[in-house]
Amino acid sequence: MELFLMTITTGIMVGGIYALVALGWVLIYKCSGVLNLAMGELTLIGAYVTYSLYEAGLPFIVAVLGTLAVGIVLGFLCERIFLDKLIGEPILSVIMVTVGMSFFFKGVVQFIWGSDTRVFDPPVFSLHPIEIGFLRVSSVYLWSFILSIVLLLIFVAFFKYTRWGLSMQATADDETAALSLGVSARFVYAAAWAIAFMSAGVGGALLGNINGINISVGYLGLLVLPAVVLGGLNSVPGAIAGGIIIGLLQNLGGTYLDQYFPGGVKEIMPFAFMAVFLLFKPYGLWGWERIERV
Amino acid sequence: MSSVWLPCGDYHENYLQDQGWWQSNFVKFKMLLLLAVVFIGIPLFAAEYWIGVGTMIGFTAMGALGVQLLIGYTGLITLGHAAFIAVGAYTSTLMVLQFPWPQFMVDAGLAYPVSVIAAGFAAGLWCVLFGLPSAKVKGFYLILTTMAAQFITVDFILTQYVSQIGGRGQAFSLPPGTIKIGPIVMDSEREIYYFMAVLLTLMIIGLANLLRSRAGRAWVAIRDNDIAAEALGINIVWYKLLAFFVAGFMGGVAGAFWVSNTAALSPEHFPFFLSLWLVGVILIGGVGSIHGAIFGSVFMVVIMELLQMAVIPMGDYFPKLLIDFAYIKDAAFGLAICGFVIYEPNGIAYRWWQIKNYFNLWPFSY
Repeated sequence: MELFLMTITTGIMVGGIYALVALGWVLIYKCSGVLNLAMGELTLIGAYVTYSLYEAGLPFIVAVLGTLAVGIVLGFLCERIFLDKLIGEPILSVIMVTVGMSFFFKGVVQFIWGSDTRVFDPPVFSLHPIEIGFLRVSSVYLWSFILSIVLLLIFVAFFKYTRWGLSMQATADDETAALSLGVSARFVYAAAWAIAFMSAGVGGALLGNINGINISVGYLGLLVLPAVVLGGLNSVPGAIAGGIIIGLLQNLGGTYLDQYFPGGVKEIMPFAFMAVFLLFKPYGLWGWERIERV
Repeated sequence: MSSVWLPCGDYHENYLQDQGWWQSNFVKFKMLLLLAVVFIGIPLFAAEYWIGVGTMIGFTAMGALGVQLLIGYTGLITLGHAAFIAVGAYTSTLMVLQFPWPQFMVDAGLAYPVSVIAAGFAAGLWCVLFGLPSAKVKGFYLILTTMAAQFITVDFILTQYVSQIGGRGQAFSLPPGTIKIGPIVMDSEREIYYFMAVLLTLMIIGLANLLRSRAGRAWVAIRDNDIAAEALGINIVWYKLLAFFVAGFMGGVAGAFWVSNTAALSPEHFPFFLSLWLVGVILIGGVGSIHGAIFGSVFMVVIMELLQMAVIPMGDYFPKLLIDFAYIKDAAFGLAICGFVIYEPNGIAYRWWQIKNYFNLWPFSY
């Protein structure tokens, strides 16, 4: 029972980070219809930038804020250089540009930082687990969860209450109507990429705190794909719920199925689940159903 | 891509000619010349190193043809083709190493050729299994299913279970002399190259013929508009699964071929990167033409070799470049894909088509 509760808590907390990254993904899809396969590399960049800033002697929070700033710049640049020209192109072209970007980023990141595992040194979060009642939660997970929830709330508030957020929502809803009301669609696309870079960057920094930073952080970033499929491609609450469910599934699978299928159940579980899930409910839990029978 | 314009004054009188294998005597001459270069010219005159490069091009092209069939002709985007190549490679290896062959078949050198065909069927069926969701979903969702195929097959089943067969740990080693076709033992670059050339030629002929048959027309119809295709009486699910089977078959044969080119087989030969690489190859070559798969493979493999050659002399001054070459390769590949998709979305095959038209229609190009 205790094991079960521990697994669930850890799952939800890791899921919070996935939810943060998934939010960035859904945002890009909602605003510009781009299906982004480079999300894993965005997390990777975020993790390494935070690491570099932290190693330069800045406090962790300042390093995270610096990552956000770098994320904005990179997001705008990416959108202007790669994706601006692809609005309205077929799905394969857009996806392959993001695949090309992911190769490019991965190559550049590994060229700059090498392929050794880097660890935040000194550790950002204390190594002693925190006890809540009878549950023992390692403090990395707890703080990551809190930080990602805070960021999620900030992003949601941004969409609800600020002018830019509202114009992004309008574009996602109906691009033509938004254009006629004076919203600059190009700016919205760029802003969506900037926010995606920011959320993925912070997600990467937190994931890097858990297991150290190497290329596999990028793989963890790929886990947002099952998360967004689960929640529905164009639903922000769906992305958050999907991220948490994927975190849960991953940890439950790792704890309980590993004895039956030794090896990498934990890594494979989300994708296997997604493949089966797609057969029965392809539009996710909260996605728009476009009725189209093949 | 429609077919090439015929030269002035040359025209078809019936459908048979229109569908003909050789459109004109010049085309016949050209293709025979190409075959002569591939089968005689390159093995005779090229250095050992470049023959190896040729083998690599052939392997890439074999994989890319299957991807081209799925993406370019049927419109089913796949990002997991390396999984099917891996299934082919493992089927072939396991059959050669573990299957209790009768002695006369081993003596006659039939074990490997039979295993190549079996590998094709195994990979084809495996591909159909992961193509099943295509009956219900398409576009991005199908991409995710094929990605799942990649992770489930290579990272889970092959790494955790299949690799453990025989207690060899991670890799299957293929002792020299195990891979032989008839009396020929495949142990030099030249023999492997010939094997590749024969397989690739057969595959291209087979695919080109399939594409001008009923199945090929059905595939193109599904790609262009699946609802209209169904209205025309095409059984969409059946033809989609057939496309998956054929593509998987070609991938499996490619994988089984790869066995002859390597001394040890391990799951690391078939990463997610290879799947993406194959899609990139057909994007650069041109989506929706067999030429595209070939041009793309030649372009990518040769460019990467040239890049490597360019980096080696610079390694004296910047040793980091040499150590981290794999990363430069990744970045260059990524940039190449982005550049082609943004600035040359029809790929190299489209330019080739334009050049051919220019010469065919010259001097009256209007």
